[in-house]
Amino acid sequence: MASGEDFESIVAQYYEPLYQFAFSLTRTEADACDLTQQTFYVWATKGHQLRDKTKVKTWLFTTLHRGFLESRRRQTRFPHYELSEVPLELPEMPSLLVNELDSRQVLQALSQVDEVYQAPVALFYLEDCSYKDVAEILDVPIGTVKSRMARGIAQLQKILISGTKRTPTNK
Amino acid sequence: MNREQAKEILTLYRPGTADAEDPSFSEARRLCGQDPELNRWFEQHCARYLALRARFKQVAIPAGFKEQILAERKIHTTPAWRRPAVLLTAVAMVAVIAGSVILWQRPREDLGFSGYINRMTGIARRGYAMELETKDPAQVRAYLTRSQAPSDYVLPHALEQSTLAGCAVKDWQGAKVSMICFYSGKPLPPGETTDLWFFVIDHSSVQGAPSSSLPAVTAMDRATAASWTVGNKTYVLVAEGDEQFLRKYL
Repeated sequence: MASGEDFESIVAQYYEPLYQFAFSLTRTEADACDLTQQTFYVWATKGHQLRDKTKVKTWLFTTLHRGFLESRRRQTRFPHYELSEVPLELPEMPSLLVNELDSRQVLQALSQVDEVYQAPVALFYLEDCSYKDVAEILDVPIGTVKSRMARGIAQLQKILISGTKRTPTNK
Repeated sequence: MNREQAKEILTLYRPGTADAEDPSFSEARRLCGQDPELNRWFEQHCARYLALRARFKQVAIPAGFKEQILAERKIHTTPAWRRPAVLLTAVAMVAVIAGSVILWQRPREDLGFSGYINRMTGIARRGYAMELETKDPAQVRAYLTRSQAPSDYVLPHALEQSTLAGCAVKDWQGAKVSMICFYSGKPLPPGETTDLWFFVIDHSSVQGAPSSSLPAVTAMDRATAASWTVGNKTYVLVAEGDEQFLRKYL
């Protein structure tokens, strides 16, 4: 079990980015709080098993993401499909348009992005993790991380440009 | 590598991160230097990225959330498998009470005006995401109005003459704080672009906010802050420097 001092310092360092990542996935304060607290609970009980202390951040994000997937799995199963089959079209979004938006609008747009892309896009904008670390957090190969991010960003920007609601595609 | 291939690679480039040293972006970035159109696209990509990143980072953390996490941990510290159920319940109850007492006794964040100054100085000093980068004061006021943050502020004349860099909206106990960033013109360490930060909040939103319109100066660690109130607005100006430097902008 992590010592009290270690635990407090880990919480102080990571609770904000973890909460923001959780909020970008769940879009509700209560669910984001639950996921973040659950992550620290797992850390308190199992964190001592982590030998490489430089991996704490990746470990926490991985745990949070797994917790999110687990809760989603309980609600519904969503299909996986090969991303290479989806054409990539990156729209030209003027920077000025972004300045017109607020956080709520951007997260609302993220919720309309296909679910499989949402976590990679959130990590792309929120965190400075290397692509190798993101691959570890999402438990997918690095190439898949990159293609999910690229396609997710393209979808997000399209949604922001159009400003119209869009239903996630199930293929 | 052609322009389209370079764009595809650079779509994942995150300015201001370790991607700058990532060799997988090197060739595409080199191509930007030779292709003005690609370079224009890349600059726009970086601006879009920084603006969207700021929106993601705007998500407010619930008040007292950190304390809640720490208190929860105290409830879970007794391993369930080692205790009979009744004892476990008793231990959990003791832990809840102990957690509450510890939480109660823990030095809490100062919610008064000195706590406010400390927090705003910390935001300015430790880094923040600029939500709008512009030199146009009208755009800053329009952005703050849209964000429902204080926008009818009065800048000290000398500060108004400094180079405006942009703004962000911060939170203090549920009240919006306008943060307007300036550059004095003095040499700054690499990666830093601002050294004067002007914070505006409604006077009624901070306990113990000053009522005087004469600036009171507080020395911080490697920074200085001045605070005053005019009308229903309380202002804090934080400067990276000593009192003499700060006073030039009051």
